[in-house]
Amino acid sequence: MGRDPNFAADLTHPILFEDEWNRITAVVDAYDSNRPSHIAVIADPFAGQNVLIDGILRRHPDRVIHIPFFSTVKSRDFLSQIAGRKDIVVMDHCHFLATRKIGGFAMLDAFLDHISTSERLFITQWNSFTWSYLQATRHIDTFFPVTIDLPDIDSKTLKPLILSRYTDEIEFIGDVTPREEPLFSAPHRTVKLPFSNKSFTIPVPRLRQGNGGANSIHPEDAEDAAFDKIIRIADGNFGVAERLWNATFDGKMVRVADIPGIPCAVNLDINESFLLMIILSMESISTVDLAEIAGPEINLKQAIFRLTNQGLVVEEKGYFQIKPEALSCVKGYVTRNRMVW
Amino acid sequence: MAEINMTSAADGSLISSYIPDMDAVITIVLILVAAYLIVKVADFLLRKISEKAGRYRITVTMVIPLLKIVVYVTAVYFIVKTIFDPGLTELALFSGLFGAAIGFGLKDFFADIVGGIVIAFERPYQIGDKIEVSGTYGEVTDIGLRATRVVTPDDSVVSIPNYAIFQEPTASQNAGKTEMMVVIDIYIDPRSDAGKAMNILKDALITSKYVYISQKRPYTVLLKDYPFYRRIRGKAYVNDLRSEFEFRSEVTRRAWVELSRQGILPPPPAHVPEEIFAE
Repeated sequence: MGRDPNFAADLTHPILFEDEWNRITAVVDAYDSNRPSHIAVIADPFAGQNVLIDGILRRHPDRVIHIPFFSTVKSRDFLSQIAGRKDIVVMDHCHFLATRKIGGFAMLDAFLDHISTSERLFITQWNSFTWSYLQATRHIDTFFPVTIDLPDIDSKTLKPLILSRYTDEIEFIGDVTPREEPLFSAPHRTVKLPFSNKSFTIPVPRLRQGNGGANSIHPEDAEDAAFDKIIRIADGNFGVAERLWNATFDGKMVRVADIPGIPCAVNLDINESFLLMIILSMESISTVDLAEIAGPEINLKQAIFRLTNQGLVVEEKGYFQIKPEALSCVKGYVTRNRMVW
Repeated sequence: MAEINMTSAADGSLISSYIPDMDAVITIVLILVAAYLIVKVADFLLRKISEKAGRYRITVTMVIPLLKIVVYVTAVYFIVKTIFDPGLTELALFSGLFGAAIGFGLKDFFADIVGGIVIAFERPYQIGDKIEVSGTYGEVTDIGLRATRVVTPDDSVVSIPNYAIFQEPTASQNAGKTEMMVVIDIYIDPRSDAGKAMNILKDALITSKYVYISQKRPYTVLLKDYPFYRRIRGKAYVNDLRSEFEFRSEVTRRAWVELSRQGILPPPPAHVPEEIFAE
């Protein structure tokens, strides 16, 4: 299937998730009200899933009922919005339908009851970690014949997406050694002893390599090197890559050496790990909801302090979310600890 | 190389006595020290690595008993070579002495060593597993050449001779995996709504911070009726077997908070199940 002209013309990111877009449009075009193939779009936080949802809203403005969720759903009122002649329902952030607590699945059950008998086509978007959880515990995948997992992107995809935003030429500098560096220096480095959590700062003698620029990446390769480094640090996540780009690009040039690496040193107990996993799975969660999930066993204030202090979580207007730059680190940590399956 | 002294006994027979010289003694000591250090360092490193390995923790510790056997067997080989540099005669003599030693009281000791080798290769359990042998339940912390050390839930260290695996059934609760099934029973008044209670226990299980659920590791909630009470039994896997008791406690506590809130009561005191007293 070729590129959908509406998708290409209307969207900010014309070539992001094109295969996935084609799959969705094929299902929409083949929609049969007797047997609707509901769609679940599953993605990590910040992965750029809104591109597909926005695409559907623009492609079928007259057919779509749009229900975006912004926080934990606590009443069935959202179901009353599904009325009228429109035959497609697009639902954002459906992971807000379930809360990981006793009795926390009532809204999800009500929603699944609804789609089981509905003739409309539901296009839903889920956090990948909540989806895995609900798949294991509630077999949610059986309600969605079409599941679309958004893949990690590579630097070849990222580069045109980013560069298409600028008309002026951007200078890419590949020097690894800053030019101001003297021949001999002793920069301080933080080192961790093996199998110990203690860090020590020690001066490490260092001789400048080359002539302060001779060991740089070839100018023609600097552009690719920059995007390769960004995508490597972002672990293929579009949103994180975008943030890294914004942090590095000063309006005129990008220096490869300035792309910030993300340290990953996580030291949490089981309660803090659990809350971290909840924040990762919900993408954005209020203190009240978090307290309900945590229960009396967990000291929420202390746990949040430690999560924030370790650079894993940020608070925005009373809602907690994973710090985008720490996403890869958090994913690795909760997976290793079997908090997510 | 050790000296071989041939002396003549009163009955005229030749008695061969092997008196190792000082060099040989030092070599033997060095071999023993080196073997001990290698085992200790490797053991320490592998345990540290295993702690970082998440769900592969037990797979990593599995190597420890194998490594011990390889190192100690190699050490014994070099010691024997240092003392005897065995030819056929020496080998026959050594075998004879070895057989006699086994016959004269080291039988159990060698049975333990053979048991250790069987455990290392056949792996009925591994370091990190939760096992039950000879009425002892606990986590395996070390598989030595002679004995397996198990830490019980009340933190007692029990040494179980390795030959026990030949004589006693051995139950491994997790069979080398990090996750382990935990059975949680809740007893309710027979007049209470059992369906509601089952749903609450199910939610308590699947929302626990310790739970691990997959296609191969499902959860179940079962109901059994007794004359004076009902038993709701939840079965689910804890994500790390070390959290077995925390998992049980957390699920039970959260379930009872909700059960009480919903008006579901425990059995009347006169009909408290005998299992509770047995525990």
